[in-house]
Amino acid sequence: MRRRQFILTWIILLVVQMFLCNYFQFTPIVTLSILPAMILCLPLSVGTVPALFIAFGAGFTVDFLADGVIGLNVFALVAVAALRRPILRLVFGTELFSRGEDITIRRNGLLPVSIAIVFAELVFFILYTIADGAGTRTFLFNFGRVMLSTLTSFILCLVAADTLLGENNRL
Amino acid sequence: MPRERRFIGTVITAAIFIAMEVAALNMMSRSSELQRSWVGSISQGFSAVFWGTGQKIGGYFSLEKQNRALAEENFLLRQKLLESEITEDAPAKVIKGFEYTPAEIVKMSRNRQHNYIILSKGYDDGIKEKSAIITSDGAIGIIDAVSAHFSYAYSFQNSEISISARLGKEGAVGPMVWDGHSSDGAVLREIPLQYRYSPGDTVYTSGYSAIFPPDIPLGVAQDAKIINGSTNEIRIKLFRNFTALRYVTIAHNTSLDEMEEFER
Repeated sequence: MRRRQFILTWIILLVVQMFLCNYFQFTPIVTLSILPAMILCLPLSVGTVPALFIAFGAGFTVDFLADGVIGLNVFALVAVAALRRPILRLVFGTELFSRGEDITIRRNGLLPVSIAIVFAELVFFILYTIADGAGTRTFLFNFGRVMLSTLTSFILCLVAADTLLGENNRL
Repeated sequence: MPRERRFIGTVITAAIFIAMEVAALNMMSRSSELQRSWVGSISQGFSAVFWGTGQKIGGYFSLEKQNRALAEENFLLRQKLLESEITEDAPAKVIKGFEYTPAEIVKMSRNRQHNYIILSKGYDDGIKEKSAIITSDGAIGIIDAVSAHFSYAYSFQNSEISISARLGKEGAVGPMVWDGHSSDGAVLREIPLQYRYSPGDTVYTSGYSAIFPPDIPLGVAQDAKIINGSTNEIRIKLFRNFTALRYVTIAHNTSLDEMEEFER
């Protein structure tokens, strides 16, 4: 029951992301995305390879159904999926994996979860910005875009993470 | 076993990750013209690095083969040069009298006062005693004994060996010996005081020896000191560093026996 609820919440957030891509692009220097948080908040029981496939599928769906370059979200999100476990290990330590417990904001604290989200966002936006600019933008522009996108998306990511990591959604 | 499994798992994960990223790049390049040129430049850069590195590794492992080929080519060019010089107005009896054979150093001592060299050619290859060992930029030693497939030679880095050397193409001649300690140092002795020279002058084999061909550049003159108030002793920096030596040419004076017989 809880598994189904988690999957449903995840799919709803994916639809939200499509709306963000289609209707909330106000300026080229800011991109809003909750995809990094959605990948980061996958249960620990999901290994790296399944996470890669989930990221690929989610990125492709968003790319296909939203305006933009197809493959851009896939390119950035697959890297987040590959680095998901190292990021979690870096922020929460190896105990998290030995205990086999999923992260929650209440149990693990807001700050560590926020730090993990920021790491995931940085990986995502660095790759996204480089690929989107395709070598035509200056370093300063790309740097500004990564920072602003990370900052503005952070709030949305935190909300998405809280929704996914809430006690009711744990598997 | 778990370590092997983990390693295989990591390799599989990395392969899937790379495949997905390549697929994403492929999708991007098909979706937008801008991304197509960007992905194209990345793939070109990557393939340049990949093939360039491969070529460097291949080149490194074929160095020995190339060195052999170059030594053979060097030998053939020397023979051709010899033939061309004979037909021109050069003194034929000096140049013509030397027979050149390429060889490889198989053993060489460097840390003694009486150093020696063993070469890969012997009397089966036409090598004879009292032949000179040379390179294009130095005199290396003199062959003392030969077996069927190897030759034993006194290295120039031997306190008993001296080479007749000339300062410049037409300058004073004196015996040149190893300085006894460095791998590229020698001393040119018995240069008359009245003979003026400048540091930096090139020193050549004189041609007065029946063993070494003339005009092989040996090194450059440096500072000098007066010995017994009568002659100069000039320090020479050799062109050929003995620490990096492998392929040489053996030069044999075909008139040597006749000359020795005549001297008796």
